[in-house]
Amino acid sequence: MAGPETGAAASGLEFQGVSKSFPGTRALADISFAVRPSEFHALVGGNGSGKSTLIKILAGVYQGDPGGVIRLGDTTSQSDHVTPRWSRAAGIRFVHQDLGLFPQLSVTENVLAGTSYPRRRGGIDWGMAHRTVQGLLDSLGIEVAARSFVRDLRPADQTLIAVARCLSDRQTSSIHLLVLDEPTTRLPADEVHGLLERLRSYSRGGQSILYVSHRLDEVLEYADTITVLRDGRHIDTRSASEHDRSTIVEAIAGQAQAHLSRRVNKSVPGAPVLSVEGLTGGPLRDVSLSVDAGEVVAIAGLVGSGRTSLMRNIYGAVKPAAGTVVVNGHPLSPGNVAEALDRGISFVPEDRARDGAFLDLGLRENLSATTVRRYRRLGWFRRGQETGDASRDVVTYRIRTPGTITPMVKLSGGNQQKAVIARAMRTSPSVLLLDEPTQGVDVGARSDIYAQIESAVDAGSGVLLATSDLDELLHLADRVVVLTAGKISDQAAGDEITRTWIYENVYNAGDGK
Amino acid sequence: MNHSTEQLDPVRAPSPDQPDGTRSGVHWAASIMPIVERFGLLILLVAVVVFFAVYPATSQIFPTMANFKNIAANEAVLIVVALAVLVPMVAHRFDLSAGAVVALASIAAAKATTSMELPLAVGVVVGIGVGLVVGLVNGALIAYCRANSLVITLGMSTLLIGAGAYWSGYQTLVGVPQSLTSFGSGFWLNVPKSVWLVVCVALGVSYLLGMTVYGRRLLSIGSNESAANLVGMPVQRTVMTAFAVSGGLAGLAGVLLLARTGSAASGVGTGYLLPALAAIFLGSTTIRPGRFTVAGTLTGVFFVAVSINGLTLAGTEDWVEPVFNGGAVIVAVAISSLLTHRRLTGSPRQYKC
Repeated sequence: MAGPETGAAASGLEFQGVSKSFPGTRALADISFAVRPSEFHALVGGNGSGKSTLIKILAGVYQGDPGGVIRLGDTTSQSDHVTPRWSRAAGIRFVHQDLGLFPQLSVTENVLAGTSYPRRRGGIDWGMAHRTVQGLLDSLGIEVAARSFVRDLRPADQTLIAVARCLSDRQTSSIHLLVLDEPTTRLPADEVHGLLERLRSYSRGGQSILYVSHRLDEVLEYADTITVLRDGRHIDTRSASEHDRSTIVEAIAGQAQAHLSRRVNKSVPGAPVLSVEGLTGGPLRDVSLSVDAGEVVAIAGLVGSGRTSLMRNIYGAVKPAAGTVVVNGHPLSPGNVAEALDRGISFVPEDRARDGAFLDLGLRENLSATTVRRYRRLGWFRRGQETGDASRDVVTYRIRTPGTITPMVKLSGGNQQKAVIARAMRTSPSVLLLDEPTQGVDVGARSDIYAQIESAVDAGSGVLLATSDLDELLHLADRVVVLTAGKISDQAAGDEITRTWIYENVYNAGDGK
Repeated sequence: MNHSTEQLDPVRAPSPDQPDGTRSGVHWAASIMPIVERFGLLILLVAVVVFFAVYPATSQIFPTMANFKNIAANEAVLIVVALAVLVPMVAHRFDLSAGAVVALASIAAAKATTSMELPLAVGVVVGIGVGLVVGLVNGALIAYCRANSLVITLGMSTLLIGAGAYWSGYQTLVGVPQSLTSFGSGFWLNVPKSVWLVVCVALGVSYLLGMTVYGRRLLSIGSNESAANLVGMPVQRTVMTAFAVSGGLAGLAGVLLLARTGSAASGVGTGYLLPALAAIFLGSTTIRPGRFTVAGTLTGVFFVAVSINGLTLAGTEDWVEPVFNGGAVIVAVAISSLLTHRRLTGSPRQYKC
């Protein structure tokens, strides 16, 4: 099948011994593989496998450890010397998960953003601009009018516009490699195939493509070659025809590793502290679930599946369109955070800097933010008492800090997170909503945070946990609920929860199977 | 004033290793900078006082007790306006209507005590009440319609100037009761009575911001509004109340202005707004850098006032005052923004000016 002419120079990409260390961890260890010319090459792996880190090294966002080499055609760079400028000059173009489009502008403006517009008599020659972009779109087989607005396009076409923008200067410079980072994550299933069909035709036309994805079925169906990473190591690079679902799941999941043993289940069956009935709103569609006292229920799902929405709707930070939330037998009025807190729900948001921490205030002020009312007596604020409580939390939750009035921003990420969780515990919640509680946290702080969570569970709290970290899920969860496109698609409890089960049910759901 | 959405998390966004202390000469600066930062404005204030005390053109009058009393009494209205604007500013919202409220409240109090012949106490209450009502309207629009505070209060300010002109009939209202003007020019324990009032207001605002749950909420909203929402703070009510307090205090400032000058006219109040903002932002660079505080604001007011007073005594022309006020607010906001940014990122090298 002859694809549209993309004008790409036929040359491959090669990683040789690329490693990346962060303080305390090794994100990538000695990665070597090659993307052959005009190949549709898929890069797969679970969260924390090192996919994104590798892509960021290629883009020059991170610097690799010394010793590695990246070769592109006849251009070579040490992996610690790659800069965004080198990457671009070498002919690598990236389409990120967040497409970086301007929805309210025209396709032409989006494609030409960052380049020089054709000019006539000092102004922009719009006729020329539209014609140029339309020519590009036509040559790429994208059936979209250059004058239309990006917000009016279907999601798959929007992704293609992002691709077209990457390829817009292919007349003047050779594009050796197109990298797409999970472009289908937010696409409806019926649009995924059209997009992948297009991409495959580009690779048939000579364009090398490195395609990062979570979704195994689409990778198996469309890619020529599949490279699997796990825990920062290169597992294998094989022709897609040599793989089937089970071999690829096995390669991604690996053998069951004894990272952390499973917690002892301490739940009290039949005593739900939280019941959610028919919750609908945003991406959520009729979600019902319950959490028993002392139980940890994990919500598994891809980005965009509605995990964060579910937590925010339960907590009242977002007002659901329909559905009820009952805590300890008390129905909550929708969209009322203060009531949810009073009834015993606490929430640890995913994005600490944006939603969790008061970075320029002291640790003490951060710890008492949910419970400020307690310190009011006769119109005065009892600072002494507040300081005492803060000192106790610092000891209990092992927060490493010079003092209780140290500004939050001076603490390490792990200790900030411990403080945010300690604050959530201040109200002795019967329901604890944890959204990615150990994201961006070092190993030591992580085990302290697990201890925090376990002590809450021992005290009878029910925990609803959203996590992308499989080890964490396996360690903490008594039960797993899989959320797919806002709906509960599957459940598992106890020993049914395995790495393989999670991969089978999370990463493949939504492929239209 | 908006918070940076950049990655603030050093763990999640690891940067290339940058060994500390590679540049020599940073050490002494690193140890002295925090002190200069904390007390810079105070040092500058002392320097200005010393300068005008020895400068030949001003050394006769400037360093006298009478002149300092004069400064304190003259700036009483400005201090109350600055403290009014300070309250919503802690929650990172601007009240630009405070100056216009001063004028309107003084007109209201003058009207009540002259043409309506109401008792003085009622006149005072009317003046403060007008401010309170304006503040509540501002606050309701800003908190519940989520409207931009700058634009709402700027519009309100212009509206009030027009309303004041209509209400006063383009006249300067005079003839207020002697009991009021004698408060404005009187002394108690050899200190101007207006200064005593200012002390009370300053203590009250200090208490509100520093020693109440309400003050903590304002501070939290100013630090991270999204987080304040998620810890269950009544953000909207707190913001609305802040504007009500601001309006009430600006109303009080209007009554005080009437007591000081014995007259009221539309448009006289707006001149207080910019020096008040200058004082607040200058104040936020000092004592507790990056925070809006009463102590900082008072330091800021005196810095502005002493400088202007000295320049006036030195015989400078009228244009100097607005240039100084405008310059002070620009410099103060620039420094204050830099300090806030550095506190939040821990690095002084990421400015994108």
